[in-house]
Amino acid sequence: MKISKKIVLIGHFGVGKSSLIRRFVENTFSEDYKVTIGVHVLKKEITIPKTNDDITLVIWDLEGNDDITNTRPSYLIGTSGFLYVFDMTRPTTYENLEFDLNYIKERYPNIPMKIIGNKKDLVTNDFIKQNKDVFGRFVDFYTSAKSGKNVEEVFYNLAQTLLKEAKK
Amino acid sequence: MNQEDKLKILKDILLKDEHEYALSIEHKLKKLEDLINKQNNLSKHIDPILEEKLDEFIKEMPKTLGPTITETLKAEIKNSQDAVVEALYPIMGKMIKKYIQKEIQILSENINKKVNNSFSFESLFRKFKSKKTGVSEADLILQEQLKPKIEQIMVIESGSGIIVSEYSKTQNLDQDTVAGMLTAIKSFAEDAFTTEAQNLEYIEYENYHIHLQNFSNYYIAVAVSGAFTATFRSRLEDKLLDFAQNIINKTDLNNSDTFSTKLKAYFENENI
Repeated sequence: MKISKKIVLIGHFGVGKSSLIRRFVENTFSEDYKVTIGVHVLKKEITIPKTNDDITLVIWDLEGNDDITNTRPSYLIGTSGFLYVFDMTRPTTYENLEFDLNYIKERYPNIPMKIIGNKKDLVTNDFIKQNKDVFGRFVDFYTSAKSGKNVEEVFYNLAQTLLKEAKK
Repeated sequence: MNQEDKLKILKDILLKDEHEYALSIEHKLKKLEDLINKQNNLSKHIDPILEEKLDEFIKEMPKTLGPTITETLKAEIKNSQDAVVEALYPIMGKMIKKYIQKEIQILSENINKKVNNSFSFESLFRKFKSKKTGVSEADLILQEQLKPKIEQIMVIESGSGIIVSEYSKTQNLDQDTVAGMLTAIKSFAEDAFTTEAQNLEYIEYENYHIHLQNFSNYYIAVAVSGAFTATFRSRLEDKLLDFAQNIINKTDLNNSDTFSTKLKAYFENENI
């Protein structure tokens, strides 16, 4: 039976949500920044290597929002998994991280969520160590849409979690 | 050795450096003269510099001159709208004419096909209908050509936009993405009108009319081509309600294969 799951990417403007999706779906990257207006839906069918399970990820790329409370709730209905993305080079995109994550968890308590620190290519490992109070506590993956580092891993990891949930 | 010779020797000793300097200048001048006089020699030195500068200029041209050219064109078009219309009118006119001619040709071919096939049951029925109603056979054929036609039916889970089932005679769309985008549009429109609980029920896209029939856990999107009349819409709604109430059950929603089989069986030969 075909399994399809809706995944939503949320986060501030310009953190690289669309770039991450484009890297995952099309394996491309562009330096040109095009702001997402409203929502953009893409999909990718993948097979989890270990279990050989097929899953279609229907990925909703929401427009960036500096205030999580302004995100349209109707876009989040029926979501199976969240990817919260922030830009490691811009503190304003993660200074309210705890509040944002709690906001989502309170409203969607049983929905899996992965937290992503993007633009890894622009920061050093020392920078990550220096900010371990924030990054170490919350971040699941450090990614770079530009180099492709960890991008597939994020989506495959979430897909595996969703398949486990579906089998329960 | 006389006085003059002695003076010459002294002169040579004292002015040796100046003499060498004068000679080197003379040598350089001669070289320069050669370079300028012989065009080939000169172009050998100047051409690479010119080429480099020219390449640089071509590369930078869109950046430096682009905005100016765009602005000039904009201003020119704005100031001479009549001239632009005059220039474009014949081209646009030809394009539209060609398109209309092609469409009329297709329509005419279809009508001829129907008229020629005068011994078919369909044709006899049309003749009978024409006599009974007083509407000419040609009008009836024309009406048939514009008849609304279901192109695709998608059953979509509300909220998530995940496709539950789909049926179409010609599959040419990425159903998952279309279903997701339809749901996003629907969510946005319904969010925007927050005063009452309302649902988006209709979208028009070029030659297609997308009818959205809402149910509690899912909605059905039907893409229709042709004339989407109020009568057709009413009949379509009845059909969809009948399908939802009498053909499928709750468990079918979790089994996309069963749902699709039922959907296909119900709509495959359906004339609405």
